[in-house]
Amino acid sequence: MARRIQTAATIAQRGAVVLALICFLTPVLWLVTVAYKPARDVFSFPPTLLFTPTLANFRQIFAIFDVPLWLWNSVLISFGTTAASLLLGVPAGYALARLRAGWATGLAYGFLAVRMVPPVATLIPFYLMMRDIHMLGTVWAVILLDTTANTAFVVWMMYSTFRAVPPEMELAALTDGCTMAGAFFRIALPLAAPGLVSSALFSIMLSWNDFLYPAFLTNADSKPLAVGLLSAYGTKDITWGTMGALAHFSTIPIVLVALALNRYFVQGLTRGLH
Amino acid sequence: MPRPRRLLLSQRRRLFFVMIGVPAAAYVAAVTLWPLTQGLVDSFYDDSLLRPGRDRFTGFDNYVAMVSDPSARRALVNTFAFTFAAVASELLLGFALALLLWRDSAFNRASLSLLLVPVTVTPLAVGLVFRALLAPEFGVIGYWAVQWGISGPRGFFADTATALPTLVGIDIWEWTPLMVLILLAGLKSLPHDVMEAAAIDGAGAAQRLVRIVVPLMVPTISLACLLRAMDAFKLFDSVFIITKGGPNDATNVLMFHAAKLGLEFFDIGAASAVSTVMLLCVGLLSFGFIQLMRRADARALD
Repeated sequence: MARRIQTAATIAQRGAVVLALICFLTPVLWLVTVAYKPARDVFSFPPTLLFTPTLANFRQIFAIFDVPLWLWNSVLISFGTTAASLLLGVPAGYALARLRAGWATGLAYGFLAVRMVPPVATLIPFYLMMRDIHMLGTVWAVILLDTTANTAFVVWMMYSTFRAVPPEMELAALTDGCTMAGAFFRIALPLAAPGLVSSALFSIMLSWNDFLYPAFLTNADSKPLAVGLLSAYGTKDITWGTMGALAHFSTIPIVLVALALNRYFVQGLTRGLH
Repeated sequence: MPRPRRLLLSQRRRLFFVMIGVPAAAYVAAVTLWPLTQGLVDSFYDDSLLRPGRDRFTGFDNYVAMVSDPSARRALVNTFAFTFAAVASELLLGFALALLLWRDSAFNRASLSLLLVPVTVTPLAVGLVFRALLAPEFGVIGYWAVQWGISGPRGFFADTATALPTLVGIDIWEWTPLMVLILLAGLKSLPHDVMEAAAIDGAGAAQRLVRIVVPLMVPTISLACLLRAMDAFKLFDSVFIITKGGPNDATNVLMFHAAKLGLEFFDIGAASAVSTVMLLCVGLLSFGFIQLMRRADARALD
């Protein structure tokens, strides 16, 4: 009897989870499949689910747009931003975690608070500044601005990660004559590896998906995929199919990276709690 | 000959920490605080890029103009309504899903990783997808919603009553999974005896949940709500892609309003006033959550 209740509960639980997954995944599956639909099926009335697959949409986007250039710009922006954010943010997060003073905790939360700054508030003055120093229309302008928000977030995530790593081993190494930089690189950092991966993942994801900053700071030669997707949508002869095909480059890579690293995803966010 | 005074190990460590912390603090301060100060100053000026060199100090005029502008007032109300509706629904739905996935099993782990998909999809693509799916003429959802009378004949986004709730729905789709991931990480870090006590099914399970699990989850819940509220308050992407603030300002939110004033009409003064108000509101909101978290954290350390 008890076992039967147990089984029924498991089935109910799995049923509910599967239902939720269907809701969360169907729109993405639609985006992927629409790329292989001939144009007339996208607009068929009423909508159909069965169609003969075609690669016409992919041929079309490569004929109209400079997809490899957009891809390269996206890679430059997300990797440049992530490298800079980790370089600045990881040591700072470590320092704040180890200082063990009230003001250090306050400062760590201050870094978290940077996330609440509305992007337009920084974008407008930054836009004017980039225009004055002739950096408008370059990926570097985007990297400089994206790095701020991401650094602040990395500092906070690494602060909570390092706080969960006990300092005793570092202190022991220091008394044995290890340098402070050595204690950081050889002892603290390896123990904080999951948080590090999580920070990198967040940083790559946020800068890859960002489109407000690059929409205003880049030009035709420096725009990333997210902005390309938007401009493709703005053109008249663009169908949902070509948008789906473009999304294969703008969206699928980042989803796959996140799926591959999924177990690190929230560790950096929640390590410091409890 | 006196030997040079050597700093103690603890002092040198302190110095080292300050040295490695300064670059990040300096960079963030330079690229965030500087524009923010600039924006605060601009909000007191009549400053338009269309009339260069004719800026003048106007005191609170931009703020007065904002308060007396019905479209800006609407944006303020919409932003709060959107943030509250989105975060509250995501919390409830996310907590329910997190409880369902609490037990560690292969099925649950696989489901959890698939849940990551909506969070990572480019927000711009999310906006475009839902715009297509909800289109009343050909969208898979929109078409049938019209046929079955769920939406008006011109779709969810053409009706002032349904436009903002539909944007909330899209936000729920996109961000509930992140809520689940954070809450689940919190649930899994609860002490073992608590987990066992609460994991037993049957009578009283709901009561144990409310009495034992929820109080222990306060820091995690605050963190999850804080992160979501900060982002929901900055809603821009789906408004920009789908509704452009319409119909009739029904989906006009502060971030979109500020971007329109500043980057479309180049009225820097007015845009700065709106973003300053935004910062004040979201600051107060975040302060509340951070106090909750720090108090719970301090209790946990005792």
